[in-house]
Amino acid sequence: MDASNPLATAGRPLSASRVRPSRRVADRILILASTGATALGIIVLGSILLMLIVEGLKGLTPELLTAPTPGPGSAGGGIANAILGSLVMTFIGIVIATPIGLMAGTFLAEYGRGSKVADIIRFLNDILLSAPSILIGLFVYTLMVRPMGTYSGWAGAVALAIIATPVIVRTTEDMLRLVPSPMREAGAALGAPRSLVIRTITWRAASAGVVTGIILALARIAGETAPLLFTALNNNSWFNANLLGGVPNLPVMIYQFALSPYPNWQSLAWSGALLITVTILTLSVVARLVIKDQRAR
Amino acid sequence: MTALTQSIALRRESGAARTAPSKGADRLFQGAAYASALLVLFVLAGILGSIIYGARSAFAEFGFGFLTSSSWNIATEQFGALPAVIGTVAAALLALVIGVPVSLGIAIYLTQLCPGWARKPVAMTIELLASVPSIIYGMWGLFVFAPLFARFVQVPVSNLVEGLPIVGTILYARIPSGVGVLTAGIILAIMIVPFVASITRDMLDQIPTVLRESAYGIGCTTWEVVRHVLVPQASVSIIGAIMLGLGRALGETMAVTFVIGNANRLSASIFDPGSTIASRIANEFNEADGLQLSSLMALGCLLFIITFFVLIIARLLVRRAKVA
Amino acid sequence: MSANPAIRSQFDGRSPADVKAPVRIAVRDLNFYYGSFHGLKDINLDFRDRQVTALIGPSGCGKSTLLRTFNRIYSLYPEQRAEGEILLDGRNVLDPKIDLNELRSRVGMVFQKPTPFPMSIYDNVAFGLRLYEKLPKSELDIRVEESLRKAALWDEVKDKLKQSGTGLSGGQQQRLCIARTVAQRPEVILFDEPTSALDPISTGRIEELIEQLRTDFTIVIVTHNMQQAARISQFTAFMYLGELIEFDATAKIFMNPSKRQTQDYITGRFG
Repeated sequence: MDASNPLATAGRPLSASRVRPSRRVADRILILASTGATALGIIVLGSILLMLIVEGLKGLTPELLTAPTPGPGSAGGGIANAILGSLVMTFIGIVIATPIGLMAGTFLAEYGRGSKVADIIRFLNDILLSAPSILIGLFVYTLMVRPMGTYSGWAGAVALAIIATPVIVRTTEDMLRLVPSPMREAGAALGAPRSLVIRTITWRAASAGVVTGIILALARIAGETAPLLFTALNNNSWFNANLLGGVPNLPVMIYQFALSPYPNWQSLAWSGALLITVTILTLSVVARLVIKDQRAR
Repeated sequence: MTALTQSIALRRESGAARTAPSKGADRLFQGAAYASALLVLFVLAGILGSIIYGARSAFAEFGFGFLTSSSWNIATEQFGALPAVIGTVAAALLALVIGVPVSLGIAIYLTQLCPGWARKPVAMTIELLASVPSIIYGMWGLFVFAPLFARFVQVPVSNLVEGLPIVGTILYARIPSGVGVLTAGIILAIMIVPFVASITRDMLDQIPTVLRESAYGIGCTTWEVVRHVLVPQASVSIIGAIMLGLGRALGETMAVTFVIGNANRLSASIFDPGSTIASRIANEFNEADGLQLSSLMALGCLLFIITFFVLIIARLLVRRAKVA
Repeated sequence: MSANPAIRSQFDGRSPADVKAPVRIAVRDLNFYYGSFHGLKDINLDFRDRQVTALIGPSGCGKSTLLRTFNRIYSLYPEQRAEGEILLDGRNVLDPKIDLNELRSRVGMVFQKPTPFPMSIYDNVAFGLRLYEKLPKSELDIRVEESLRKAALWDEVKDKLKQSGTGLSGGQQQRLCIARTVAQRPEVILFDEPTSALDPISTGRIEELIEQLRTDFTIVIVTHNMQQAARISQFTAFMYLGELIEFDATAKIFMNPSKRQTQDYITGRFG
């Protein structure tokens, strides 16, 4: 402590704090506890990844990606049919959800400002965003599986689309709102009709964010299991090109095989789990990088 | 310059000949946008409608007794919701009790304590926990967490409390297998932490820096700033975030199905297996028909009502939280 | 109220206000409302062909509001409405039956902040052209070049027409927006504080540009900068609290205003 410091010469060096011990203790506890909580989160993620890598890598053979899932008790096999089924259903789901989500988000951001209907839809969309996915499975079961008399990839894709849509609606609206309104006014001032201003100017200005929304939606539905259980179910062979009957998919395969008594099934479940988790985490990281780029602009 | 002036003069005479873009396309586009938005309404109404439709025979058969009955007997076709409802609420509340303090801790760490360079990677890691599919949490819970939990918690705690009143019932594991209601609560807690933490972090970040700095300026410790300045400012949103987490915990299916043990009876111990609405539907739906199927739909109906009630409150509290 | 010689010298050698030029825009009994707020009160004003008319006044006086009625850009916002008449070449712009998009192609607008669209420089300029005229590529190229030349931007961007318009500097972006507006060959161009977001050098270039554009277009400019109004306009309207206080030739307004409030404002006593 500097001798010329008036506080020091007054006989009370700054280091001799007036802070009561109890205040210090509370502060220490807070710091320790919150650091510990954060460490816990990181440890859990690390432990999950470690588990997937240790168990999943064992089964990573060429056969995994070429052979279909084996029947109960039969040896070997792969998960090629489940991967393909998941890809097909996720793709159809996103193809259905993207135009609907994009247009609904556009309505909320561009046409619905200040309107009651838009407020209600925005609110309910936020609810749908967090709705239990199993209920969406029950809905699509009643809507499609029951009347059609069979499980189908179509029903699975529709269930996934219903889960993906609110995500796309929400991100589209948020991103369109970031587009400054003078941009729209400038388009209108040139005599462009509103729909043209939206399609050629605002959408383009918000494109990176909208793409992020679609990637986030992909990440969200790629691992969804519960709704597929009642819609696409699963089977242990290749599926029909018309997607009728049970369509194999990774999440339901993982669920059924992980809890099965057959070691080769369990091993396939682990490999599938590794594959799906790595895919989803990659999508999430990519989405976050894209959105950061958009916000920075 | 003259050329342009002349061409303008020329055009002005034929000015009316400008071809305006068609109005039809404009109307069509707006109509399509409106219709897409309305679809959101219809889907929500459809979910409720289809579940009520599927559940009608169970409600007709059991009436209000469906809520209070605790039997689930496929042979005698006697179905009641009580064990599943209690299991759902118990697991979700345990998840909150465990998850909320951890979430707040993470949010406080990220906004107040974390060194600048580590903020983004740490925040990203926590948010990535939200992207892990629920089935992976289920596998982790069953194969990694449950054995450790049985060995290091269930067995010692059961030995300790055996014979004691109340705690001897609540914390006693008849079969210390690691699975059960508390295990489900812990896994659910891990699953809701990234949501609650990231919304809370956003809310704390939104508090003006001046407010924080003036609190530190009069000599507050971090704890006092958090306790007296930040948390009161953001409390409504934090409660909303917690409700959002609760909504998620109530409806979570796959992870719970792996670790709750799927017992149809009620047990007083949180170490014992149980079931939730979602886990029971997931377990039985594909083999069910007739009254059992309808009863599962009726369970779904209860889940709809409970979660939507919670989610509506949550969304009213946090009007514009990020995509959760 | 004697004129300051320094002010007088500003007007030496400047093109004087042409009071005989035909009236392009006639504003009659215009009232404007933001919800229940009465933004403009009984405005009557004429804007003459190929003259620059400046709207000046303190913030919130209604000058931008008035400007935004001429192309009815305010009608993007449902709570805003105008009553009265704005006659553009004798046609009432406020008539609900009027085709807004066509109106806006005849009355161009340049905004306070540059608003380049997220597309290439070329496409920015061609955007408005493509809306109303079906032109072959070769002719489109000519029109884009012509517009960029008119906006004094051609030499700076001719080698990077395919690059994004958002990569230009602020002043360049604003000239790009002017080129985009000019390309449509409107009859009137509205400038809403076009230089308030720019540095002095860019401001000077835009002012020169407006001076040149006057040979082809009728121009209305809102500005909070009185020196700018004095430098570039032939007519000036002074507004205060939603009312038109005084309208006259710019030289008259700045050297010998007839209203006390105008005098106070231009000498900096309030505003």
